[in-house]
Amino acid sequence: MRSRIPLRFLGLFVCLGALVLSLPAATFDKENVQVHQLANGLKVLLVEDHGIPNIALYTFFRVGSRNERPGLTGVSHFIEHMMFNGTADFGPGEFDRRMEFLGGSNNAYTGDDLTAYTDWFPAAALDTMLRMESDRMQGLIFEPKVFESERGVIASERRLSVENNNDAILYENVRATAIMAHPYHWDVIGWMSDILGWRRDEVIAYYHTYYSPNNAVLIMVGDFDPAPALSLIRKYYEPVKASPAPPPIVTVEPPQIGPKSVLVRKEAQVPSFLVAWHEPGAREADFLPLAVLTKPLLDGESSRLYRRLVREEQLAISVRGGNQETIDPFLFTISVKPRPGADLDRIEKVIEEELDKVKSEGITQRELEKALNITRTDFYQSLETIAGKANQLGSAEVILGDHTKLFTLMDSYSAVTLDSVREVARKIFQENNKTTGRLVPEGGAR
Amino acid sequence: MKRFAATALVLALAAALAAPSLLSGAEPLPAPEKIVLKNGITVYFLSDRSVPLVSFRMLVRGAGSAFDPAGLEGTAGLAASLVTKGTAKMSADEIAEALDFMGASLSVSAADEFAHVGGRSLAEFFPRLMAIAADCLSGPAFSEDEFAKERSKRIDSLKAAKDNPGIAVRYYFQKAYFGGHPFGNLAMGTEASLEKMTAASVKNFYAGRFRPDLAVAAVVGGITKEELTPLLEATLGSWANPAGGPQPDTVPPLPVPKGRDLLLVDKPDATQAYFVIGSPGYPMGAPITPDAAVMNTLWGGRFTSWFNTELRIKRGLTYGARSSFESWAAGGVFTATSYTKNDKIGEMLDITFDLLDKAAKKGFTAEEVESARNYILGQFPPTLETNASKAAAYARLAFYKLGFDYYGRYLADIEKVTLEGVDKAAARLMPEKNFVLVVVGKASDVMPQLKKFGTWKERKITAPGF
Repeated sequence: MRSRIPLRFLGLFVCLGALVLSLPAATFDKENVQVHQLANGLKVLLVEDHGIPNIALYTFFRVGSRNERPGLTGVSHFIEHMMFNGTADFGPGEFDRRMEFLGGSNNAYTGDDLTAYTDWFPAAALDTMLRMESDRMQGLIFEPKVFESERGVIASERRLSVENNNDAILYENVRATAIMAHPYHWDVIGWMSDILGWRRDEVIAYYHTYYSPNNAVLIMVGDFDPAPALSLIRKYYEPVKASPAPPPIVTVEPPQIGPKSVLVRKEAQVPSFLVAWHEPGAREADFLPLAVLTKPLLDGESSRLYRRLVREEQLAISVRGGNQETIDPFLFTISVKPRPGADLDRIEKVIEEELDKVKSEGITQRELEKALNITRTDFYQSLETIAGKANQLGSAEVILGDHTKLFTLMDSYSAVTLDSVREVARKIFQENNKTTGRLVPEGGAR
Repeated sequence: MKRFAATALVLALAAALAAPSLLSGAEPLPAPEKIVLKNGITVYFLSDRSVPLVSFRMLVRGAGSAFDPAGLEGTAGLAASLVTKGTAKMSADEIAEALDFMGASLSVSAADEFAHVGGRSLAEFFPRLMAIAADCLSGPAFSEDEFAKERSKRIDSLKAAKDNPGIAVRYYFQKAYFGGHPFGNLAMGTEASLEKMTAASVKNFYAGRFRPDLAVAAVVGGITKEELTPLLEATLGSWANPAGGPQPDTVPPLPVPKGRDLLLVDKPDATQAYFVIGSPGYPMGAPITPDAAVMNTLWGGRFTSWFNTELRIKRGLTYGARSSFESWAAGGVFTATSYTKNDKIGEMLDITFDLLDKAAKKGFTAEEVESARNYILGQFPPTLETNASKAAAYARLAFYKLGFDYYGRYLADIEKVTLEGVDKAAARLMPEKNFVLVVVGKASDVMPQLKKFGTWKERKITAPGF
């Protein structure tokens, strides 16, 4: 997930990304969500919530790096940046200037499957915000000078977050090694040569293919009266024309038929270690048991891998990872920050031993309960804010295919059995399905 | 890192305060109830059942890294991290398992002026969470084994931080700006100071400094006062005060940079250069706060700020450029930070100095001031939306004795901020001649561009310490 503004710069705690599959709070259920669809295909979800005098307006487009192709990698994220850089009605930077003048702020993020525009503003700014959001859905002008300047911003972002970050370099190498054919092969940021080479006409064509009301969902949560709010939405969005449905993703990643490994040598004080297995997509039945397994395996200091690698054998500073909620099958990862000089073979062996235990004995009933408690807690936390509610609804709509799944998933989640967890572990954690990545300090381990 | 994590919180609360006009006169932070426990801890409480979660915050005065024993920086941070690593009743693994099982969190860390305890759980598990918290606070074991593990983890984490120049530049800046002042103590410690520590020295710090009578706490969430009061007495209330009186907890005045204090840290593999510039700010709650907040919003505190506009929006030199004020009881600091390709750092610093000079000499426009006022006011409500953010606000306001109506007063003050006030704040606060500037980058590419700014101290990123 890449965001337009570095998150640590925002004075807000924004819930990005992780879609939590769990019980809805009593105060937030299916009946609280008004669902509308305009004639041009735009889906609208409205949730009235007067907790604070603000509104969270989230627009999700069904486009991400999954829709890209070689030469245009990273372009979904680039368009996310360009969305703030000018239309015929609102020149470059005008969106931000007007929004901030009215007390609003925003960010945006691009993932493998989706691009989301997240606006937070006082209720009085609603009219202007809807006007500007609808205007930029198809009205970007891609002014050439601004295009080049923003290209530089993205290049800087790539240098910051990938090239100057050893864990990120290793991650990029591992995903590109594990995934051969599917567009998940490349990271959301894109390859540097593509970033430096995007052609304006190709970028514009990509924008017009994916930015249309029939490829978007608008979610509004906060301090508004739904009837007049819907009228405003109709006023601004009904004139936006529907486009032909974007082309489907036809590439299916072929099964991996042998273990892979990748070695990165780079100046570093500390090595990095990452291992990945192909996993099912978020809409598949095996996804939930795998999500359950992640908790006892990787979540918290009591998790099996933290205990072995960090506490008992002191091979690592940290260990994290798990499954990713994506439309198509992606990667289950375990990322280890080794101690300087730690034996990477030993780290890999410990991970294998722990996975073998799960494959033979499964997890315990108490670990299953723990997974459900963690999930429930995370879910309620995400519902503490209007922004969190908007994000959950949008993610469920785009990634799971239906926002109402948010309100029924806990039933499926609670139905996960100890047997199904063991079965999914046996299916996923196979040697032929595995890719191992190591980043070692230049000149070898030290 | 702690210092800058805390900065984000201060910013969220101080730089983003809402409009009374937008709030229709409602008090932005509801007045809490007050519960005083028998051991002296004051707990502020608000019942909020919108989600079945409860958040807990506590600040312990005098237990932050500013009070690390001489030569043993990082003691407060290490002591805090060991609080949850075993007691007479429970081992570290048992504590971790009990917390994880509930999906609960319990963290203890050292900020500068205080230690911070934070907890959160589902309402049904809150009694168990508080029982564990009280057990940990009452008698951490500080076993040799856990001490050794945590210490060596920290030594390795410091090495890992040097692989990330964006993180490393902040450590170097903290050291360069504060020098031997207590705020120069890194909560993580240094390799040298960590080597000198013993389990006994850490335990000794905890015993003298973690005191109920210096703690202020807050609880917000799905629980009633009738349920909470006996629960707190039975848990936190049983944490006994040490026999002796409190140790000194005053912080000397913050250092004031004289002239240009320039440091370049050579990281030969860096593809970008990172900088932080800093100069004196103002103490927590100072009258200049509203004017300074508006001024900072305009200069470097939001996306369309001058700083971000010139460096990112107009020139595409960087992904982000931001400035902020951080305040403590004893004073404050202004910092501005960004990063760019190694060959552009000279241009980036030229622009930065031009913008600082323009703010101090020419100032802003009335329209800009109106925009920044609206922005601060409009972005305030989400900063107090969650149980945890309300609890943090109660604890912080109580700690600094600002009063629970602080935000309401602050909002009113923001609405009254004038162009004149903002220009005066800029003239007083923007660094011109006296500042600390730290750059982390590839020296062979960067140094030729930096020479014109003055005489630089140089060090290698591989050299021990910061």
